[in-house]
Amino acid sequence: MRVLLSTQLSAQIEAHLEEAYPNEGAGFLLGAVDHDAVKVERVLPLSNQREQEAQHNRYELSPLDFARAEEVADASGLALVGVFHSHPDHPAQPSTFDRDHAWPHFSYLITSVQNGKAVLTRAWRLREDRSTFDEDEFLLGEI
Amino acid sequence: MATIRIPTPLRAYTANLSDVEVTGATVGEALQDLINQHNALEPHLFNNGELRSFVNIFLGEEDVRYLNGMETAIEDDTNLRIIPSIAGGSEQPIRQVDQSALRVNQALIISLLVLAFVFNLWWLVAFVSAVMIIGTIWPDAALFKLIYKNILKPANLVEPDVIPDNPEPHRFAQALGGLFTFGSAASLLLGLPALGWTLAWVVIVLAGLNLFLGFCVGCFVYYQFNRLGVPGFSVAPIPVEVDQER
Repeated sequence: MRVLLSTQLSAQIEAHLEEAYPNEGAGFLLGAVDHDAVKVERVLPLSNQREQEAQHNRYELSPLDFARAEEVADASGLALVGVFHSHPDHPAQPSTFDRDHAWPHFSYLITSVQNGKAVLTRAWRLREDRSTFDEDEFLLGEI
Repeated sequence: MATIRIPTPLRAYTANLSDVEVTGATVGEALQDLINQHNALEPHLFNNGELRSFVNIFLGEEDVRYLNGMETAIEDDTNLRIIPSIAGGSEQPIRQVDQSALRVNQALIISLLVLAFVFNLWWLVAFVSAVMIIGTIWPDAALFKLIYKNILKPANLVEPDVIPDNPEPHRFAQALGGLFTFGSAASLLLGLPALGWTLAWVVIVLAGLNLFLGFCVGCFVYYQFNRLGVPGFSVAPIPVEVDQER
């Protein structure tokens, strides 16, 4: 699977995650899924719903956030295609905790934010048997 | 019939249906009927028979956990919704290794072993071996790293170069080097110079590979053992972060 993201949306994601630093930031990805590509058309940056003390290494988006995101997607003719979140001062790869809480058929963009600066984003997808994540090809640019 | 609304990521398992009609008098029965119709949903909704903690079933605006849970009664015209919570987060505390300390260690090992070879000094090989083995067992007493930490770094002769890395593989590499060097010193003492100097040169070459090319053979071996699930090699590699085109 390939994940396509415009530089403009990428900048929007990075700004949100840098603002959340040193805590984790997150939000939803809206777009369209072709057979082998996910094209992100819109991002919905949201507040981390975890308690303040846990936000440095945990994020959560509530069921209400999810329901609203689906409504926004439906209303704009898009689909909810995934989630983005940051790993402050950690690598842009999924943790066991990420895997245990992940959904299949969702793109997970993980951005490593080092010292307040977004340095690397990688795209991941949960395997259907929930055993691990596979990395998606992440294409950034004018699309 | 009651209906259950399926969240987007799970619609792949319901032939892209956003709403599935189900039978049942309770939320639990309705979910069971849903799973009977679409088996592949089960691992994503349940774990050992329990609803996963981040899977929420809503009846109207209420999470059924705050009603009667799986026993909550439903009517024929009830619309249930499966609404995920989205959660995650990084895991391990960041781990760092000062590459400069490792490089000083490698440079001193190479220099002393070459010196030992040139002047045929078995005791110098034994000394390097002792430093490496002691440094493996008690990292705080690693002499060459102490020289870096207490002399070279404070005098600004060597700049620190701290990067995210796992210390265990480097310690393992040090242990391997220490054993080879010990074998070298023992061979020299026992009158087997060919074997002794071969072992010493293996250590020199491997330390040189690490110092000049940044490739740590011992770490590579460690991570191979980790990949194979060998007990005691529990630390997995930190992926190399390359800056992407933006």
